[in-house]
Amino acid sequence: MALSASTEPLVNQFAGFGGLTFAQRRKMFLIAMALPALVYVLGFGVYPLLKGIWYSLYDYNLLKPARTEFIGFGNYVELMFDSDMQRSLINTIVFTASAVFFELVLGFAIALALWRDDRFNRICLTLILIPVTITPLVVGLIFKGLLLADYGLIGYYLAQWGLSDPRGLFASQNTALATLVFIDIWEWTPLVALILLAGLKALPTDILEAAAVDGAKPLRIFRKITLPLMLPSVLLALTIRTIDAFRVFDSVFVTTGGGPGNATNTLMVYAVKEGLSFFNIGKASAIANVSLLCTAIIAAALIFLIRHYDKKASTQ
Amino acid sequence: MARIKGNIKILSTVCLMAVASAGVGHAQDKPFEGVTLNLASMNDQFSTVLVEMAPEFKEATGAEVKVDILDYGSLLTKTTADFVGNTGGYDLITMDIVWAGQYAQNDFTVDLKDLIERDKAELGTDDIYPKLMDALGNYEGKQVAYPFAGYANVLAYRKDLFEAAGLDVPKTMEELVDAAYKLTDPSKNQYGFVANGQKGPAVAQDWMQYNAEMGGSILDEDGKPALNSEANVKSLEVYRDLFKKAAPPGAADYDWGGREESFRQGIAATMQTWSVGAPGYFNPEISKVVDTVGLALAPRGEGLPELYGIGGWGLAINADINDKQKEAAWAFIKWITSPDVHKAFNMKGAGSYIRKSVVADPELNAKYPFLPLLDTAFEKGDGDYRPRIPEYPEIQDILGTAVNSVLVGDEEPKAALDKAQDAAVKVF
Repeated sequence: MALSASTEPLVNQFAGFGGLTFAQRRKMFLIAMALPALVYVLGFGVYPLLKGIWYSLYDYNLLKPARTEFIGFGNYVELMFDSDMQRSLINTIVFTASAVFFELVLGFAIALALWRDDRFNRICLTLILIPVTITPLVVGLIFKGLLLADYGLIGYYLAQWGLSDPRGLFASQNTALATLVFIDIWEWTPLVALILLAGLKALPTDILEAAAVDGAKPLRIFRKITLPLMLPSVLLALTIRTIDAFRVFDSVFVTTGGGPGNATNTLMVYAVKEGLSFFNIGKASAIANVSLLCTAIIAAALIFLIRHYDKKASTQ
Repeated sequence: MARIKGNIKILSTVCLMAVASAGVGHAQDKPFEGVTLNLASMNDQFSTVLVEMAPEFKEATGAEVKVDILDYGSLLTKTTADFVGNTGGYDLITMDIVWAGQYAQNDFTVDLKDLIERDKAELGTDDIYPKLMDALGNYEGKQVAYPFAGYANVLAYRKDLFEAAGLDVPKTMEELVDAAYKLTDPSKNQYGFVANGQKGPAVAQDWMQYNAEMGGSILDEDGKPALNSEANVKSLEVYRDLFKKAAPPGAADYDWGGREESFRQGIAATMQTWSVGAPGYFNPEISKVVDTVGLALAPRGEGLPELYGIGGWGLAINADINDKQKEAAWAFIKWITSPDVHKAFNMKGAGSYIRKSVVADPELNAKYPFLPLLDTAFEKGDGDYRPRIPEYPEIQDILGTAVNSVLVGDEEPKAALDKAQDAAVKVF
C-alpha cells in the first residue's frame, strides 16, 4: 500500500511528461530558456514599476510613518496645481526638444562630413566620440568650473566682455537652461552623428550613383533620396536621445541644483528632491510616474513612425 | 630639518605604541574583541582624523571601527534608509544638528539619557559646554546624539583692508553692512561681502544666519512658521542689496566651496563662516590671505541680545543594533570625546570642539589662535536659528528657492517670502 502510494504519482508524472506533444515540449523548453531574463524583468522592472504606482496612491513619507494614508489620485491632483511641477514639466520639455533638435541637425552635418571612408575621417570620428565617454555628472562639474563668473577659465572672460550676465551663465534666469542644453549638445551630438553615420553607410549606393549619373544636383539628391532613406536612422537617434534627455538629472543636479529660482528644475531633479531629501515617497512616485508616462507616449509615437517608415522603405 | 622632524615623528609614534600596548597588553582587558562598528561620517575635517585614530580604539578595546565617509546628501539618504528599513547597517552615525527633530520623532537612535546617567563619573559632562550638550543632540528631552563636533559662526575679515580704510572690526550687523559697502571696489576685483547664494541648502543656511543676526526668526513664539514676518522681509532686503552691490558678481551661484574659495583668493573683505573652515585660511598652499586674515565673533544687530550661531555634529547610536554593538558604540563615543583623546583629535586638525578644557588647552591655542572666540560663542550659543524641527528639510528647501529667486532678481523679498510662508504652512 505504502509502495503504491509513493510510486503512482511518479509514474503518472512520467506519463504526463511523455504525453506532451512536440510543440508543447518545445514551448516549455523556450520558456525555461527565457526564465532567467523573465525573472529579471519581473523582479527588477515590473515589480518596482507596479510598486511605484501603488505608492503614488498614498500620502506616504518615510519620516512620518504614522501619517500614511490612502489618497487615491490625490498626489496627481496636487501635482496638477503645483507650480513647481508645472515649471519642471515645461523645463523638461523645452530642454529635451531644443537639445535633441540641435543634436540631430549638428549630428547629421557631422555624419555627412565623415561619410567618405578614409583614414582622416576615421581619426576624426574617434576624436569626436570622446565627450560621449565621460560621465554626465563629471561633464557637469567640468563645465561648472569653467563657467564660474569670478574665477572660471571661460566664465570670467564671458562676464568681463559682457557676453554673459555678470553673475555667470548658470546664475541667470535667461541663460541657465540654455547653458545646460549646450552642455547636453556638446556631450551627445557625437552619439547622434555615429548612429546617423551608420545609417549613411548602409544606404544603397547604386541609387545615389544612378541619380548622380542622371545629373541630379547634390542638394536634390539629399532632399529626395538620402533624407527619405535615412528616416529610420533619424527616428532611431531621435528616440534614443529623447528618452535620455527627458530624464536629465546629473548635469542639472551638480551645476544649478534646479536654480536660479526654479529656472532649471526638471522632473527628475524634482522627483529626487521629494524622494531622497524629504523621503516623500508618495509624491516622488507620482512625479516619476508622470515622467514615465510622458516618455512612454513619446517613445511609442516614435517607434510607431520608425515601423511605418521601415515598412515603406522595404516595399519601395 | 625635515628629516629630523620625520625621525622624531617615527620615534614618538613608536614610543606611544609601546606605551599603549604595554598598558592594555598586561590588563588583557579588551571587552569588545571581535566587534566591528560601522560609522557613517560626514565628509568634514574630522572624518579623516577619525579614520586615522580608529586603530587606537581597537588597541584599547578590541573593537574595530570602520569609517564610511559620505557627502552630506549621501549621508542623509543612506542613514535614513538604514533607519527606516531597520537594517542596522550603521552602528554609529554623525548627526547634523538640524536632524535632531526627525531623529527624536522617529526614535531612529538610542536615547542616551540613561547611559549618560549611568556613566556620569566617567564622562565628565561638566566640562562640555551646556549649549553644545543641548544643541548637538537633545531634542525635547530625548538625547538622540552625543555632542562630538561643535562649530561656531565666526566673522573672517581682511586686516589689511580694514586698516587701509581706517575701519574697526565690525561688532554689529550695521557696522558690518557699512564696512562691506566701503570696502567694495569692483575695479580692483575687491568686494566687501560674500555669502552663499546658490539655490538649495547653501543659500538657505547662510541667510538664516544673517536673518537671526539681524533679529529675524524662522518660527514664531508658538513654533509655527513665520517666514514672511516684517523683520525677515527687512533682513532679506538688506541681504539682497549686499549681494547686488557688495558681493562678487558670481556669489548668487556660490555654495560653501565657492564662498570659501573667494575669500581665500582674496576677492572678499569679510565673510561669515563656520569655525571649522578657519584653519584653511592659514594654509599657504590654498590661501592667498595667510598673513592678512583676522577672525572675530559673528556680529549681531544693534541692541539685540548677545548670541552666537552654533552648529556641528553629534554622534548617534542606531536603535536597531543589538545590545553588545550598542555598548561598543557607546564605548567609542565615550572614548573619542574623553578629554585627552579629544585633544589629540583636534591637534590632528579635526576642528571639532565640545570641551571647555580642550578649547582652553595651551598647546591647541598655540596652534589655533582663534580658540578664545569659540569659548565665547559656545558659552552664548544659539543652536536654533536653523529650527531643529522634524520639518526642517522642507523649510530649508522652501527658503532655498525663495531667497535665491530674490538674489537673482526674479522676485521681491516680500512676495517671495509670502509664497514661501504659504508653502511652509502646508508642511506643518
